[in-house]
Amino acid sequence: MDLIKTHLYAYHAEHGNIVDFGGYALPVWFDGIIPEHNAVRNGVGIFDTSHMGRAMAEGPDTERFLNHVITNDLSRLGLNEGLYTVMCEPDGGIIDDLILYKQQQGKFFIVYNAATKHKDFAWLTKNSKGYKVKLKDLSDEMAMIAVQGPDAEKTVKKICKEDLSKVARFNIALVTLSGLKGMVTRTGYTGEDGFELYVPDCPVSKPDKALKVWGDLLKAGAVPCGLGARDSLRLEAGLNLSGQDIDEKTNPLEANLRWVVKFKKEGGFIGREALIKARDEGVRKTQVGIALDRGIPRHGYEVVDGGKTIGVVTSGGMAPTLGYGIALGYVPPRYSELGTPVKIRIRNRLFEGKIVKSHPFYDETVYGWKREKK
Amino acid sequence: MSEEYKIPEGLYYTEQHEWAKKLKNGKVVVGVTDYAQKQLHEIVYVELPEVEREAEQTRAIGAVESVKAVSDMNAPVSGTVVEVNEDLLDSPELINEDPYGEGWIAKIDPSDLEGDVIRLMDAEAYRKFVAEQAH
Repeated sequence: MDLIKTHLYAYHAEHGNIVDFGGYALPVWFDGIIPEHNAVRNGVGIFDTSHMGRAMAEGPDTERFLNHVITNDLSRLGLNEGLYTVMCEPDGGIIDDLILYKQQQGKFFIVYNAATKHKDFAWLTKNSKGYKVKLKDLSDEMAMIAVQGPDAEKTVKKICKEDLSKVARFNIALVTLSGLKGMVTRTGYTGEDGFELYVPDCPVSKPDKALKVWGDLLKAGAVPCGLGARDSLRLEAGLNLSGQDIDEKTNPLEANLRWVVKFKKEGGFIGREALIKARDEGVRKTQVGIALDRGIPRHGYEVVDGGKTIGVVTSGGMAPTLGYGIALGYVPPRYSELGTPVKIRIRNRLFEGKIVKSHPFYDETVYGWKREKK
Repeated sequence: MSEEYKIPEGLYYTEQHEWAKKLKNGKVVVGVTDYAQKQLHEIVYVELPEVEREAEQTRAIGAVESVKAVSDMNAPVSGTVVEVNEDLLDSPELINEDPYGEGWIAKIDPSDLEGDVIRLMDAEAYRKFVAEQAH
């Protein structure tokens, strides 16, 4: 099967090491995962994230409809503010995590994951019946580029006329990018400060606008980064990968996402009853971070205590910023206290580890968007 | 494409991209090939075999890991592991920098070298094998 190309494929084909990423032809690295990872932690990197899902929801019932589908509460949002949330099945299982931005009264921009985008759009469409709302999938006619790192604002400033310092975290703004009409949100998937740039009216078949913005960001000093660094950065930040760390078999209470579930919001939401039951009965597994002294934990490895398998690693890898192996995984709640010793089975040998803070794994005064400014 | 990969003469090679070199003292030094290290890219961790363990040809005796991927290190020849390259614990990138030299992984005292080498490739055969892999 032919791989799906994004707007920036021409650049990737020339400069990147392209892999099949869920059916998309995307670069796993350009220069190397570690230098790209470090560029984002210490400077600025750019990522093609055009494979992600983007949609617009518009109409008088939009807010009421969306609030019924998600677990978080949209009614708290002001204009141009965004909200991280999940949407669940009636049984509380997570369909996907997503961000919604209130652009106008009754108009929301929605960004969700690549692997789940068709399922998400179908779920939204199905549940919109009876509401006055129009959903439009923009994924293929709008390019998306993430600019991430402590120097992100400086870098985007060079191609953007508007004052980006006024765009607060998780906010959205209509801006001019490389002289073209576009949008930015102050978001990302790396733990660092940064922006996600959207280039509308840019179909994959005519990607000139996206290539122009990408090229101008490179000229502004940004390091092109592949999906390898995107994964190692998000793991260090303790951010879930949908379909791997969270899925239909996991509810948000188990995934440490209690904070995005607003049981008391008006009108209820899909999955509420199941989640109330889960809350009252207590969860049987809970997401934790694990650090190893030696060895690299990987997706699917067993978490072991006293010779018994107690859980599983959902994401793992070497943390380039920290220099040791880290993992996100699920264990029974009694193991979740920080410092609890656990072992991970790697190629049939047990490696010593312990439960650590995972959101993020690194020291927030040194790395990430909250870091103390130099 | 094989011109891109260093494949020195005089070594033996496996289809899993390990190499073996006979030393004057009868021992065999083993490691992973230039092709293997380039496929893995940025090696960040090496699991060394235990000294004195038995090695069986084609069976895993350790592992080499990059940020994204894990690759078994299989024994090119059977025998007993007599020495391992402990420099790799602190500097796994030696395998990227010098896969046939400072990036060696272990030394094996072979139990049936003559029998084992029949199942290994020489440089010319391995060069062809890598060229086919690249397609």
